[in-house]
Amino acid sequence: MGIAIGAGIAVSIAGLGGGVGMGIAGGKAFEAIARQPEIGGDVRTLLFITFAFIETLTIYGLLIAFMLVGKI
Amino acid sequence: MFTFGMLDGVLFHLGPIPVDHIVVTQWAIIALIGIVAFMATRNMQMVPRGLQNAFEALIVWTYDFFTQLMDKEHIAKKYAPLLSTFFLFIIVSNYSGLIPGAGQIPGYQPPTANWNTTLALALITAFTVQVAGFAEHGLHYLGHFVSPSPLMLPLNLLEEIAHPLSLFLRLFGNIFGEEMILAFMLFLAPFFVPSLLMGLSVLLAAIQAVVFTILSANYIATATGEGH
Repeated sequence: MGIAIGAGIAVSIAGLGGGVGMGIAGGKAFEAIARQPEIGGDVRTLLFITFAFIETLTIYGLLIAFMLVGKI
Repeated sequence: MFTFGMLDGVLFHLGPIPVDHIVVTQWAIIALIGIVAFMATRNMQMVPRGLQNAFEALIVWTYDFFTQLMDKEHIAKKYAPLLSTFFLFIIVSNYSGLIPGAGQIPGYQPPTANWNTTLALALITAFTVQVAGFAEHGLHYLGHFVSPSPLMLPLNLLEEIAHPLSLFLRLFGNIFGEEMILAFMLFLAPFFVPSLLMGLSVLLAAIQAVVFTILSANYIATATGEGH
């Protein structure tokens, strides 16, 4: 019971943080592209790299959740 | 249904080394890439068409892309074959999870959903970064570990470990998590619903391959750059 709740909390908090971070990064990137459309390509590459970094932290939470689920 | 990296499906032994289903799947992927590349270059012509045209476009595009990303042209030319190989291998591995039966047939799952494969790929990157640094700067490369001051030595060493570790966990976690969620979906709603998620995973698999390649290129560019 406790392990199941722990797995749920792990993945939900990790998802919450990652979602907020990705929202801020994506929004700012769109602002930048709207202001200067000619640098769209560079911004897109940087945005994907940033997303990969943010997403890694979320994936850590997901992996911990899978490990906990395996222990039930 | 899924192994977390245990050698449970050992098929046969090559001397003292156990060969399991993940390794055999990787051999199949390598053979597939090799056969397609052989077909493309078997009958080369000055004016390319068909498969040869596609491959030449890919090679020119990767060279341009890495040159732009890494600033130094000779470094980009030197490491573009390795990075392109990473890209091709990872994208074919990820897409092999979309073949019907992957994850359902015992012992058949995409190799990148197992942490042994992604750890091996990340270790190759870590090794290449150090070799690239020494090849470009000689012993001056060691100075980068004590910059800006010797106090930063532990943190710099930690960074060299953290980069491959995050590469390894990112690729493994993404593909493994996606396969796992797909399995849950199949269990909850066996018809039509998983196909939506599979459509998303087509995009995700390509992005993960691109991200792994770009980050590896970035780490090599940092080690060979003039910033220290």
